[in-house]
Amino acid sequence: MNRRKFIQNTALASSAFLVPNFLKSTDFRKTYGSRSGKTLVVIQLSGGNDGLNTIVPFNNDIYYKLRPRLAVSAADAIRLNDHQALNPALQALQNIYDNGEMTILNNVGYPNPNRSHFRSMDIWQTGSGSHQYIQTGWLGRYLDSECQNCQPHYALDVDDKLNLALKGSEISGFATDSFAQLNRKTKNRYLQLITKHHQEQDHENVEYLYKTLIDTQSSAEYLFEKSKIHRSTIKYPNHKFANDLKTIAELMTADADIKIYYATLDGFDTHAGQKMKQDKLLKTYADSISTFIKDLKSNDLFNDTLIMTFSEFGRRVKQNASGGTDHGTANNLFLMGGKLKKAGIYNEAPNLSNLDNGDLIYNIDFRQIYAEVLNRWLDTDATKVLNQKFNSLGVI
Amino acid sequence: MDNWTKIKHLYHRAGFGLSLEEALNKKKSNIQKEINTIFKAQQNSKIKTPEGFTALQRNIQSASDMRDKGKRREIELQARKLTPKIVEDWILLMARTENPLLEKMSLFWHGHFACRTRMPHLASLQLNTIREHALGNFKDLTLAIAKDPSMIRYLNNQQNNKRSPNENFARELLELFTIGIGNYTEKDIKEAGRAFTGWKSDVLKGKFVFNEKQHDFGEKTFMGKKGNFNGEDIIDIIFEQKQTAQFIASKVYKYFVNPQPNPSLINELADVFYSSNYDIKKMMKHLFSSSWFYHKINMGVKIKSPVELIVEMTKSLQLEYPNFTPIMNVQRQLGQIIFNPPNVAGWAGNKAWIDNATLLTRLNLPALLLMSKNVFLKNNENKKGKKFLDKFKVEVDINCYYKEFKNSSKTEIRDELISYCINVPLSVSKDIITRGVEGKTQEEIIQKMIYKVMSLPEYQLC
Repeated sequence: MNRRKFIQNTALASSAFLVPNFLKSTDFRKTYGSRSGKTLVVIQLSGGNDGLNTIVPFNNDIYYKLRPRLAVSAADAIRLNDHQALNPALQALQNIYDNGEMTILNNVGYPNPNRSHFRSMDIWQTGSGSHQYIQTGWLGRYLDSECQNCQPHYALDVDDKLNLALKGSEISGFATDSFAQLNRKTKNRYLQLITKHHQEQDHENVEYLYKTLIDTQSSAEYLFEKSKIHRSTIKYPNHKFANDLKTIAELMTADADIKIYYATLDGFDTHAGQKMKQDKLLKTYADSISTFIKDLKSNDLFNDTLIMTFSEFGRRVKQNASGGTDHGTANNLFLMGGKLKKAGIYNEAPNLSNLDNGDLIYNIDFRQIYAEVLNRWLDTDATKVLNQKFNSLGVI
Repeated sequence: MDNWTKIKHLYHRAGFGLSLEEALNKKKSNIQKEINTIFKAQQNSKIKTPEGFTALQRNIQSASDMRDKGKRREIELQARKLTPKIVEDWILLMARTENPLLEKMSLFWHGHFACRTRMPHLASLQLNTIREHALGNFKDLTLAIAKDPSMIRYLNNQQNNKRSPNENFARELLELFTIGIGNYTEKDIKEAGRAFTGWKSDVLKGKFVFNEKQHDFGEKTFMGKKGNFNGEDIIDIIFEQKQTAQFIASKVYKYFVNPQPNPSLINELADVFYSSNYDIKKMMKHLFSSSWFYHKINMGVKIKSPVELIVEMTKSLQLEYPNFTPIMNVQRQLGQIIFNPPNVAGWAGNKAWIDNATLLTRLNLPALLLMSKNVFLKNNENKKGKKFLDKFKVEVDINCYYKEFKNSSKTEIRDELISYCINVPLSVSKDIITRGVEGKTQEEIIQKMIYKVMSLPEYQLC
């Protein structure tokens, strides 16, 4: 019996699950030999990150013409190739890029783009078309199709409310931003008493509620114990997002039985005074991510990790009158990992001389990337999850 | 099925459950009498636009006149903060109304004609439109929604003009609001879109405006018919199709009877609906009067929506909200904010309400209200001394329980509360619920017992 199996069985066998002593060993690095499988980490940048000031088209006159006050100067930008450069706030990503551990996909979007945050995020989270309304998330449907016997925390959203992306029709991900608090909540003696004495009923929803409660209790305990096993020795930036990533790294190092992690960084809706706001956010993002990757590498985990960062849309090419940008369409998307098939800049930089009403035109459907992640990383049949076939990109 | 179980079932589905006082009064009543009471109810007060909006409206107008976009946006953001007041008023109305079916039906239509509305005057306008027609004629309601400023904005009909038609509203009208997918062509959508060109709204005044210049008066072909159709004509043609009655009947059945559809009963409802020319009240009366509605398989088969749960607790514990923010947060935590559906398809409902985070929040609500160290209940001697929870500022009044159970034993209190609150057979033995319930006073025991019964997962079902 391998270790993961053993942990699962223990968790199932006893509601008073205790971590086996050998896992509490401080020299944890030596025990991960049995670790198996790949992990997906999804990072959601909420509010619509301005992609053009993230990956800067420093060689493009139109960019400087349309953004006289807002453009990142060519001298400051960190060049990646002859056309595109990193915003200097993303300095920390340079190494990752140079090491071939990052793929930048340009012009990612979908047909008939929607400029409402709400709706566009809905489209990204459910993996729907612009005229389609789906009530489950793309990763939730992955759980529905692959996860009949998984642990309830198999897909973990580091948040107090479950992201729609992780909601399935039968099986959903698990949300918590504080293992200690969650554990305290589930330690409610009365709730423990009633689940212990629950007798199976011939009533679907009664069983569904009790099963969810019992799962929550056992997962809360499991996650709480797991989160205590390993403390990161690397110093993370002082920010909630960095802390969420640290939590993820600690659980991964402790070999928690979790396949998918989801974390969010909010505040990208920069209609006014964009420069300072976005630079600060990008720095938080890059510093946190690079620390996270360093942490994963020091525990030999990065080769089995894929990090995908997206935002619900990019912003208009032309700056507005308030030193900001308004809601746009296509945007760049990042993949990071130790085993990317095609690192670097994947496709051509945005074409600023061919805009649709002042907005970028997409040429990669975001669902192509989902399909790639599902097929190549989560080892499932993406067509079942997305209800449509998408061509492979050959990135992963 | 005993009479009381039927009455409880009726009031949960046609309303939001019963207060303890109502429950005690109705315990010996008969079901026919209660059906009549529900359908005879008249109360229909309007939801008001919050105080203070008129002044803001004037400021928005003058900012617009001066073409000061930044200023206008700033005032609009201020105005949006008033919208939760409407949510509060409606939730309290749902809890206190003499006409629960009207509000329940309105909540159903609010989810059916799902629309995100942020400005308070547009929110109250739409809500009153829905409430005006909620038990009236479905075709009238559909037409009123097609002219509703919030919906016109939400589904981009504001941008629908003959030079560049925007078909968004037309598409959802067919797919989600009336006949359902698979019963029309893409061409039908385009033609319907043309018919709704120029149907716009004056957002500031909150009024429908027909812009003749932008309307396409040309000939359209829609569902096999040809003519110079406008929006009204399109709705007429859609409503000629029996599939429209079928589509709504199916949704009504899943919402009011059982999430698992029963095709022959849905056909029965659709027949009543179609032959009455879309009379909502007639269909609902048929539904609640049918013996199949009271069948065992429909009892407790629904998971209460967050709003249903909040309203029922408001009734049962006579909650008052000195500050409504915590209740907005509960809605957010539980995944149902009024005027803010996830998308135009509305809330998925039933099992989709439940995940680990929402379930724990639901199950911990009674503890938060009744058992928290900081909670002080109103009592008879201290009516003025309102004390609130530090963060969760909600007032609880359970004096009627103290009065009713003054001389009852623990097991009597427990059994009465189970009979009052729970709609399915219990999956734990009753002595588990009483276990460890101690108190210096009878009132303390009653309070703990309410907490225990309401914390059962079974309480989430109706």
